[in-house]
Amino acid sequence: MTVIAFILRRCMLLVLVLIAVSVLTFAIVNVLPGDVATAVLGDMATPQMVEAVRERMGLGQPLPDRYFAWVAGILHGDFGRSLQHGQAIAPMLLGRLGNSAILGGITLAIAAPLSILLGVLAALRPGGVMDRVISGFAVGTHALPEYVIGLLAILAFSIWLPLLPGSSLMDPNENPLSRPEALILPIGVLVIGMLAIISQVTRVGMIQALASPYVRTATLKGLPRWKVVMKHALPNVLPPTVTEIGMYFGYVIGGLVVVETLFSYAGIGQMMTNAVSYRDIPTIQAGVLVVAAAYGIGNLCADVAALVLNPRLRG
Amino acid sequence: MALALPFPALQRRLGVGDFACIGFLLLMIILIAFGTQIAPRDPLAFDPMHSLEAPSAAFPFGTDEFGRDLFSRVIAGTQPTLLVALAAAALGVLFGTATGLVAGYLGGAVDETIMRVMDTLMSFPGLILAMLVVVMLGPAPMNVVAAIGLVFWPRSARLVRSVVLDLATREFIDSARSRGESRLFILTRELLPNVLMIIVVDFSLRVTSAILLSASLAYLGIGVTPPTPAWGLMVRDGQQFIELAWWLPVFPSLAIAVVSVGTVLVGERLRRSIAMPGGDRAR
Repeated sequence: MTVIAFILRRCMLLVLVLIAVSVLTFAIVNVLPGDVATAVLGDMATPQMVEAVRERMGLGQPLPDRYFAWVAGILHGDFGRSLQHGQAIAPMLLGRLGNSAILGGITLAIAAPLSILLGVLAALRPGGVMDRVISGFAVGTHALPEYVIGLLAILAFSIWLPLLPGSSLMDPNENPLSRPEALILPIGVLVIGMLAIISQVTRVGMIQALASPYVRTATLKGLPRWKVVMKHALPNVLPPTVTEIGMYFGYVIGGLVVVETLFSYAGIGQMMTNAVSYRDIPTIQAGVLVVAAAYGIGNLCADVAALVLNPRLRG
Repeated sequence: MALALPFPALQRRLGVGDFACIGFLLLMIILIAFGTQIAPRDPLAFDPMHSLEAPSAAFPFGTDEFGRDLFSRVIAGTQPTLLVALAAAALGVLFGTATGLVAGYLGGAVDETIMRVMDTLMSFPGLILAMLVVVMLGPAPMNVVAAIGLVFWPRSARLVRSVVLDLATREFIDSARSRGESRLFILTRELLPNVLMIIVVDFSLRVTSAILLSASLAYLGIGVTPPTPAWGLMVRDGQQFIELAWWLPVFPSLAIAVVSVGTVLVGERLRRSIAMPGGDRAR
């Protein structure tokens, strides 16, 4: 199978996934017990207020009609209006998606090579000092929520040692790259969160690869150790590792939501948690859909990257 | 207790690490059951004379802006934090096991339909799905349990299904079928006992993720409301005082850290005792 055919097939699958995701999102918002209007207004609302909101949000129409109207709007770039700000959701969503992509992209660019390196180092001598330090660190940080690591980082680097800003509070339209110092702590926290998972996946793959016959052959041929590891073992370890990285995008996105909230970074996650406190259901619904789409596209990219890295599947 | 199950590997002599794990579990059970009674002070009582006091002999973890004793709040917070996580993990694994058994054994269109629904559930990042469900159902512990259970359901179902697919081709299932046993019998008496070990291990992993997920939801202000002393919510509320009173966010954070690292280590030990097929510590 050629790369192009594979990508096309995965893209079609992605479209199906997105349709399913939109149906489920819509169903959770509209079919679960707990009426949207009541969720928007809170428990204190009078029946008249609930009725008014139902009217305004068009909740009286049949469910399928509302679903298709919602999807048709999205396909035309209309995500509805925010109940909190009264303005259209789409432009707000776009700007914040960009900000989140900057945060997530830089994190990935640092975390992926660094954690693969750490995983390889740990695998060179399983049970050795290096392995114990790296794997211990991984188990520890993996068990910590991002905000715990983040708060300790804020305490250490912004309060006790006032080196870095402890908050990335900014105007949502401002380019986050214009204040790089405000990005260091959030990215650092996200990188630590990712290191744990990827380094352990790499480590396991590398240990298996190093125990295989082709590595023994290469070693017996008299090749230097680094060459055996980098040229013979690593190319076989990378594809499954990249696939695994793709499968952990979900965790990364969850981490992004928490870290954005912690540092008041104007990304899509912070937009959603803000919307939660204002019961701004249309914004949350739009955010969930966009995040799920980003997750699906991220997975697709990882699969394609794994394919490109794997000479046997390239055909 | 779950550990008393007759796992063959547990018949070796118990070491220091095993007793540490048992001690940790006992401590957690005691704190969950009697946390509010053990706490030296009322975790909800305001005391304006002692607001925002640094840790001292009288207040080991300091006090918050209302003068509430943080040490008592952290102890009393064990229950609202952990009970939700345990229930959510149990719910997810229970539903996942049932679904995985049925899908894996029946196969065909049933399997196909069930697994496509599971795939859809898995197309959401866990935290996002849980967030949406709790926001729609409203802030209550049971709703958080349901939401996290929903996140775990497809993941457990996939795991159990993959094991059942393998088991279903074995001879003992064939012979049960030719004995004329009912589907229900084969599912519950033949297949279930064989996936039990994997379920136990899966549950131990899920507990840790459930603690992290529910604490993250609480930190985002979703699912619990003040004055419940849930640890995640305490971190959220304490964060605004971080420059003035570092102890407010730090001690609940440490409590989360200790418990989740503890459950990871217990799960790890459990997994190694049961010797999962192909199980490596990283998976």
